[in-house]
Amino acid sequence: SEYQKALKSDEVKQKYEVAMQLYEEGLAENKKSKHKKALRLIEQVLPQYRGKPQGEHISFVHANSYYILGAYFDSAYQFERFTKSYPNSQKYEEAFYKSALSYYNESPRYSLDQTETLKAMNKFQEYISKFPDGEHIGDANEKYAALREKLEKKAYEIAKSYHHREDYKAAIEAFDNFIENNPGSKFRDEAYFYKLDAAYILAINSYAQLVEERLIAAQTYYEDYLKYFPQGGYVEQANTIAKEIKERLNNNSENNLG
Amino acid sequence: QDMALANGKEYTIGKISVVGSTNYNEQTVIAFMGIKSGDKLYIPGDKISEIIKKLWDLGLFSDINLYVTNIDNNVADLQLEIKEVPELNEVKISGLDKKKKREEIIKENDLKPGTKVTENLIATTKASIENKYAEDGFLFAKVNIQTRTIKDSLDNDKEKVNLVLRINKGEKVKIKEIEIKGNEIFSDAKIRRQMKTKQKNFLRFWKRSKYIAEEYKESKEKIINKYKSSGFRDARIVNDSLRILNEEEVALTLELEEGNKYYFGEISFLGNSVYTDKQLKAVLGIAKGDVYNGVLLEKKIADKERPDAADLTNLYQNNGYLFARINPVETRVYNDTIDFEIRVMEGKMAYFDEIRVTGNDKTNDHVIYRNIRTRPGQVYSKQDVVRTVRELGATGFFDAEQLSPDFDVNPSDGTVDLNFKVVESGASQIELQGGYGGGGFVGTLGLSFNNFSLKGIFDKDAYKPLPMGDGQTLSLRAQASSFYQTYSLSFSEPWLGGKKPIRLTTSFSHTKQFYRDFFARETDRDRSFLITGGSIGLAKNLKVPDDFFVASVALSFQHYNLQNYNIGLFTFPNGTADNLAITLGLSRDNTHTNPIFPTGGSKFGITAKLTPPYSAWNGTDYANLANDPAYQLPNGQPDVAKIDQEKFRWLEYYKIKFNGDWYNKLIGKLVLRTATEFGFLGAYNNDRGIPPFERFYLGGDGLGGYSLDGRENIALRGYGNQTVVPRDREDGLTREDGATIYNKFSLELRYPITLKPQASIYALTFLEGGSSYDGFKDYNPFQLNRSAGAGIRIFMPAFGLLGIDFGYGFDPIPGTNGAANGWETHFIIGQQF
Repeated sequence: SEYQKALKSDEVKQKYEVAMQLYEEGLAENKKSKHKKALRLIEQVLPQYRGKPQGEHISFVHANSYYILGAYFDSAYQFERFTKSYPNSQKYEEAFYKSALSYYNESPRYSLDQTETLKAMNKFQEYISKFPDGEHIGDANEKYAALREKLEKKAYEIAKSYHHREDYKAAIEAFDNFIENNPGSKFRDEAYFYKLDAAYILAINSYAQLVEERLIAAQTYYEDYLKYFPQGGYVEQANTIAKEIKERLNNNSENNLG
Repeated sequence: QDMALANGKEYTIGKISVVGSTNYNEQTVIAFMGIKSGDKLYIPGDKISEIIKKLWDLGLFSDINLYVTNIDNNVADLQLEIKEVPELNEVKISGLDKKKKREEIIKENDLKPGTKVTENLIATTKASIENKYAEDGFLFAKVNIQTRTIKDSLDNDKEKVNLVLRINKGEKVKIKEIEIKGNEIFSDAKIRRQMKTKQKNFLRFWKRSKYIAEEYKESKEKIINKYKSSGFRDARIVNDSLRILNEEEVALTLELEEGNKYYFGEISFLGNSVYTDKQLKAVLGIAKGDVYNGVLLEKKIADKERPDAADLTNLYQNNGYLFARINPVETRVYNDTIDFEIRVMEGKMAYFDEIRVTGNDKTNDHVIYRNIRTRPGQVYSKQDVVRTVRELGATGFFDAEQLSPDFDVNPSDGTVDLNFKVVESGASQIELQGGYGGGGFVGTLGLSFNNFSLKGIFDKDAYKPLPMGDGQTLSLRAQASSFYQTYSLSFSEPWLGGKKPIRLTTSFSHTKQFYRDFFARETDRDRSFLITGGSIGLAKNLKVPDDFFVASVALSFQHYNLQNYNIGLFTFPNGTADNLAITLGLSRDNTHTNPIFPTGGSKFGITAKLTPPYSAWNGTDYANLANDPAYQLPNGQPDVAKIDQEKFRWLEYYKIKFNGDWYNKLIGKLVLRTATEFGFLGAYNNDRGIPPFERFYLGGDGLGGYSLDGRENIALRGYGNQTVVPRDREDGLTREDGATIYNKFSLELRYPITLKPQASIYALTFLEGGSSYDGFKDYNPFQLNRSAGAGIRIFMPAFGLLGIDFGYGFDPIPGTNGAANGWETHFIIGQQF
């Protein structure tokens, strides 16, 4: 086939032309196999075209082929390289956006290391400030928010895991940090509630001399919760805890009087 | 053309030209610059520095200058002058005979063709080669490097360089003597013993007496430390010199000033409020009147070599006082006594705040966080950090070498943020084997995933290539040959429910065996024997009575199905048997500190395996089965096959086992291990009897082999495998079908040869005795088969434990009336005696 011939040929120009043809066909027919072939040829000739007039186009095609093939780790790097080398290109915005998208696709589930998520957020942020009227501005904002929510979920789940492992002191501290670091997060409702829950369980399992002090602390967490989430998803449960706190505090003071 | 630099002015770029030594196309270089004719540009301006920096970053040029050659009507012509760093063409080395040595030098210094030859490269190469020779004792090695410019063979405009290395390594320099002056307290020999640097001695011909500067420096410090730890606070080296005697020999002279011997006087503490003087003194462990020991004092305040030592700094640091500073100050020196004041600045308490983990691209947060001892809001403790690092390494999911905590200390609010950086390591194993054995091809496929995620198996995105990251273990194993197949699967979750470390283990296995006629080499597929079984168990660390206890419970089931297959185990060729049992266990293990080579502590375990007492309710009169016509042959004789099928349809027994191990440090590194084991298999209903399953077979290496009947092989060195069979007390007859009682006692002396992490080796010598019985009427714990011998064990993480023991059996094998059993050799794989 033409591809096989080009692959074995020494003619740089022939490789280039076949590669571009395969790439265009791949786009038109949505065929990954064509992109794979194109990419192989491009990699062979890319160094020869660096610095030449075709360099810009081939660099973009190179990066985009990785992107189409789902090799986001490579496409992120190649798009970034493209934006640095050709800041005046017509494809600049698209390349910029796609480098962000590549990082976005590399971002793993919340329970793993989030280095790629942070990179993607940085890229989207840059895109948003560079192209305030850009073609993808809506999508960029949406994706940025989704990534931020992922980080919030990570922090929330870690705090929650202290609660789950019954390390209530650490849970209170971790929820505190979460609330402080994540204003406007959708997990704040839960965070405030579980902080109250942790404080209550900690209080009632404490040494007698600590119980009252800790119950009072739990009560202030209850008040916090009601203040911020009067319609929150955990109001009922919070009210139940508050009632129990009150009863225990009353009993305590009666005992002390007696 | 000179221009005022203060105010940049915008120009349109006219012509851009490139001059200088380069083989790059002019257009290529201009394209690299990222500007073109017609662009607007501020001159001067930061765009220009950006261009120059960009070119620098390519690492291809040794000189870059950008000039404005002409300005006409706001149009500026630019000229770029560049000088290319020459590339290395070839390295020529003279002075070394061996090609291998020459190649080594090129490889070590990374002198590949195409490397850019800079002055720096030449200087570092010279220094590194000379240093390398000096380390090997060639103190006077000289390296001379010259460059020769040549034309590139392909491209005449391109210049390349050849490096010519002349190496004169000279003679190997030995230290003829080390002269020591000024020493009265310690003899020359004693001082030399402190030194790593040694002088020539015909008795020490196998050890080096090379001169290595680094070692010599260390040696001098060691001498001073030796004095300091013996009271000579002021000892110092006043002079030291190296004399070159000839091309091969040097002499060292050390002149010492020993000073006086001192004693510790009063030691007082200042500034301590958290701990009393008495508490601090106890940790310090130095009393008035002790010989002055500067090294010890320093160690007791902060031991630099051991981060987890019991010193004063750690006392504070393990309890929240991260900012504590401790300084000893000599307050008074009189005659030979020195008073000290130990000044403590406790600082305020520090608390852990944010605890983060980075680098986990496989393992989920919760698996890591549950192993982290440092928690938000907890008082700072260095010990907890050290233990966390060690315990995360022990999970096997991460590279233990690369685990490091990053501290972010915030003194103003007294908090410490910690970030544990982890590097994932492969935690899966694949075993694939094939070979001829037992009359045909035997293939084995084993897969073991040690960081599996069961939750992920229905999530197609989790397959990368397999769902990982929940810290679970999944093992699959299949073995097949022409006449048998075995499949097994096991799964374990160390934190069931994620709340507490409760280990869940489940396993399933299936074995099918066909009758094989080994003489005719034929397999008869109509005659088969089948075992299917599974188990599920839970184990939990207890808090009461102490942390070292583990309680466990497991339920197991095996189903045996025979089709026209006589295996000797059963008297019936057709039929089934089921083995349903619950195993309860309690164990305690506080051996420390190295699990491969414990030096103290003890280990106990007791388990009870119980089946339901079916005969208590099924109403069968097992004693009279033989008299029941339903269980008789047509001729009126009892049908043994039928009776046994009835007896073993559901196996009924209970089994109790106990083991205990004690470890004691005797002298130095010598450790004594004392161990005892006991096992008992009994029946609830004596008419039904003890089944021929689950029995004990004593003798040999104790390795589990191919067994169908749940037998337990108990090691006893000095005797062949499974040879120490029970003997009837009265008639002395032996039984070959396994024992229902056994006991064993051993004494073992162990000595470590090396305990490095990559390989631990120890030697041992043992005395042991054991015997097995077929019931309490025959039981006599002193009628032992005794043995003694010696052996060696090697533990490597990749292979597990390997070893060999030679044992001499003093007693005859039961059933033979011969003499002592004599020598036996045992190979040990993956199991500890």
